[in-house]
Amino acid sequence: MSTPTSPTRRRVLSTAAWLAASSIPGVAFARSISGALPWDANSAAPPPKLQLNGWFFFTSAEVETVTAIVDRLIPADALSPSGAECGVVVYIDRQMIGPFGRSSRLYTQGPFFLGTPRQGWQSPDTPAQRWRAGVAALERWVAANRTGRRFAALAAEEKDAVLKDVEAGKIDLGAGVDAKAFFALVLQNTMEGFFADPAYGGNKDMASWRMLGFPGARYDYRDHVDKHGQRYPLPPVSITGRPEWAGKVD
Amino acid sequence: MNPATFLLALAAAALAPTAAFAGDVDQADRIGRGAYQAVLGDCAGCHTAPGGAPFAGGAPIATPFGTLIPPNITPDRDTGIGDWSLDDFRSAMTRGVGHDGIRLYPAMPYPNYAKMPEPDIDDLWAFLGTIAPVKNDVDANQLPFPFSIRTLMIGWNLLEFTPKPFAPDAAQSAEWNRGAYLVQGPAHCGACHTPKTIFGGDDAGKALTGASLQGWWAPDITAAPTTGVGSWSKEELVAYLATGVNGHTIASGPMAEAIAASTSKMTPEDLGAIATYLKTLGPSDAARPTPLAASDPAMKHGAAIYVDNCSACHGGRGEGSKDLFPALASSPIVAQADATTLARMVVIGSQGVHTAAKPTTPAMPSLGWRLDDAAVADVLTFVRNSWGNAAARVTPGTVAKLRN
Repeated sequence: MSTPTSPTRRRVLSTAAWLAASSIPGVAFARSISGALPWDANSAAPPPKLQLNGWFFFTSAEVETVTAIVDRLIPADALSPSGAECGVVVYIDRQMIGPFGRSSRLYTQGPFFLGTPRQGWQSPDTPAQRWRAGVAALERWVAANRTGRRFAALAAEEKDAVLKDVEAGKIDLGAGVDAKAFFALVLQNTMEGFFADPAYGGNKDMASWRMLGFPGARYDYRDHVDKHGQRYPLPPVSITGRPEWAGKVD
Repeated sequence: MNPATFLLALAAAALAPTAAFAGDVDQADRIGRGAYQAVLGDCAGCHTAPGGAPFAGGAPIATPFGTLIPPNITPDRDTGIGDWSLDDFRSAMTRGVGHDGIRLYPAMPYPNYAKMPEPDIDDLWAFLGTIAPVKNDVDANQLPFPFSIRTLMIGWNLLEFTPKPFAPDAAQSAEWNRGAYLVQGPAHCGACHTPKTIFGGDDAGKALTGASLQGWWAPDITAAPTTGVGSWSKEELVAYLATGVNGHTIASGPMAEAIAASTSKMTPEDLGAIATYLKTLGPSDAARPTPLAASDPAMKHGAAIYVDNCSACHGGRGEGSKDLFPALASSPIVAQADATTLARMVVIGSQGVHTAAKPTTPAMPSLGWRLDDAAVADVLTFVRNSWGNAAARVTPGTVAKLRN
């Protein structure tokens, strides 16, 4: 983990000089457009094609642990199937090998200051590194404190008790893993997988959207905006469509 | 041509040593009239490549017989028509025979230009002489054997071409006759909108009833009420030709090019004449088809696809949004016999024409990544059989042809 430092005159000046230098090659020039607006045939920015089978980041042991965690956060009940049944583990696995997992859109170079909680995560560690380290630390803690068992082998109540203690920071996971911060990442990614568009691997069959009555990837409600007190009649639709398009539901 | 460009062209003509007629006041009038003839004939539509020098050679044209490249018609002596005589030009325009007896292919619409009176052709020649010469060697003939043999066109002309000037109909008004002349003559509307015989000539019995064209469908422009322009008022037709946009639709594709380069620069009187003439052409769709039942599986799938993908812009009942998103309800464009253009809109997308009067250029996004061939076919079948439309169902095969 990083060592908190305070800004010095030298550091501020060198940072300013670095920013000035690094901005030169990346300058984006404004351009004038006259006549028709720029337009290209076949132009679209679809989500990356989802790889349906196999694991791209998690090991099979990690899949077992993550599945057990996710299914306690979102258990199967009358409202929806469980988190893992909805593809949440698949979602997290695919995210870890993408820009989010690699922090490729975040500035992750130093200097690293110990920020306030409102300033978010302040560390060079990527979400992929944090999941890997966090799952390993959790399994070490469970093995040491729960008679050598793995997390997935615990009873549901035991799992909940461990997760609650991790969430509250009552457990020291060791190895530099911040238990509260790890739980926050796990919960965030689990909710994302459950509620995000099925195009990204989770929310299978739009289960969470059906649960909520969320209409999905729509953007025009003029035909319904005046129908006060009436239920919105259309089922949810994903970026990749819905079964009715292909006659799977008639 | 805007006035500034025209003055520049005149100045260039006055300075150019080859411009023997410099200083002749009558000649200036002829050049001005000739510039308008070039608008009527849409010479630039084919002979100017996108972003290229004016009249210095165009983008390749795919014909059923192979590819042709519109040649350089600037007065460059080596690569253009700088060594042509007026007689050569008259012969090319009215007989399809160019300099040194070379046979032109009828992709150059000389069967239409043959209806032009000689003074108009001479004016056009005077104008072409004022264009800045551009050295651009175009190998026009890219056709495969045996179509690459230009003398074949002697036989084609015997079969398909009767050179004769426009014959006015004394029973019709002067405006109607002007419109008929423009449509049949220089504006060569039938080059795209008239179905072709197996030899590539106009199928005269089906004039202007719609035809296939380079991956588009040039629609029926007769007065047919469901597939033609019969439901458009004369003013709406004129607005479409002048700006590319009217209350019903927005031009795109090859017609957008024709509007930008040609019809938007025609006089209101000529556009009114064209509209008057087109609205008298007999309906070609005698029997109005019955729309498919809403219970048809394609209609049910199509309705779901429409509401999720199309309704935000085109409206829950296909009403569109005036001048921005074309209406699909009761639309002759939607009801065309051939759905190629519709499938193209959905799979590839398209951009509306840019004219001075309508500069917005709203665009249809490409949905080819989101909808497979069957889904595109079903949503088009739904649109073609809803809200007052009735037309044949669309098959996935029609859509597949538009994929790479």
